Amino acid sequence: MTFKEKVVPTIRVADCLLVPIQIDLDDKTVEQLQAQLLAEIQEQRVRAVILDVRMVEVIDSYISYTLSETAAMARLMGCRTVICGIRPPVALTLAQMGIELQGFLVARDLEHALALVWSP
Amino acid sequence: MARKAKELLDIPADDFEMVVRIVREEDIAVARQMAKQLAQGLGFSLADVTKVATAVSELARNIYRYAQTGKIMIRKRLEENGGPTIQVVAVDRGPGIEDVDLVLTRGYTTYERSLGIGLSGIRRLMDFFEVVSEVGTGTAVVVEKRRRKF
Ligand SMILES: Nc1ncnc2c1ncn2[C@@H]1O[C@H](COP(=O)(O)OP(=O)(O)OP(=O)(O)O)[C@@H](O)[C@H]1O
Ligand SMILES: [Mg+2]
Repeated sequence: MTFKEKVVPTIRVADCLLVPIQIDLDDKTVEQLQAQLLAEIQEQRVRAVILDVRMVEVIDSYISYTLSETAAMARLMGCRTVICGIRPPVALTLAQMGIELQGFLVARDLEHALALVWSP
Repeated sequence: MARKAKELLDIPADDFEMVVRIVREEDIAVARQMAKQLAQGLGFSLADVTKVATAVSELARNIYRYAQTGKIMIRKRLEENGGPTIQVVAVDRGPGIEDVDLVLTRGYTTYERSLGIGLSGIRRLMDFFEVVSEVGTGTAVVVEKRRRKF
């Protein structure tokens, strides 16, 4: 995948793909991100994708749906997905709305995410 | 109900600090950003800024999805002996909603790719929530959030 096709730059760390999301997730971006990640999982044959959402200020219903759908697709390709760094106000909002981010392993930070991925 | 729907749909936009016309998908993010700025400017806590921004995001997306076009209007209201309140009025002249109670049910959706928790979710996030809709006329959703001392 060429650089131009990527909406979010990714970093390969051992057998994982690290995805630090540094931009506002609007509908189109999150759809493009899904396509990008699926292509990268296939090309790079990674064991896990780690989404770092420390910079993301709003996660609403549709963004959650699309992220969970991506996690389900990744799982079907034999790849784990971890989400880490959810901000406290975002966690509070998701919890009150009753959104669960299904399909993801949830980690506190990157270190925790890698520990989850490498645990047997 | 019918009269109220028309009344809300005809509220003059001049009465609001911010008006975002929802026409394209990008306008959802614009509306969300404006709401965030207003809430921040009024000294809302980060948690409440996030709730207001999330609610606006849901309302703007519903307009874009179900009515194609509409408006998000936001204003502050100063309550007597209380902090400021943010009011968001989302209006569209789309198809309207036949059974409002039904669409407020968690998980109910007519859209294939969604959780169906936009409206029921923001109802839990806000201090005031009302949907007024009439088939053939349009839909207005009014939500409010008070500033809390913390
Ligand atoms: N502005 C509107 N005009 C017409 N129908 C609407 C409008 N807003 C919501 N609806 C109807 O109400 C249903 C529930 O809306 P709600 O926002 O709760 O969930 P959703 O949009 O289906 O999914 P989600 O918001 O979780 O992505 C919608 O599927 C749609 O049928
Ligand atoms: Mg919705």
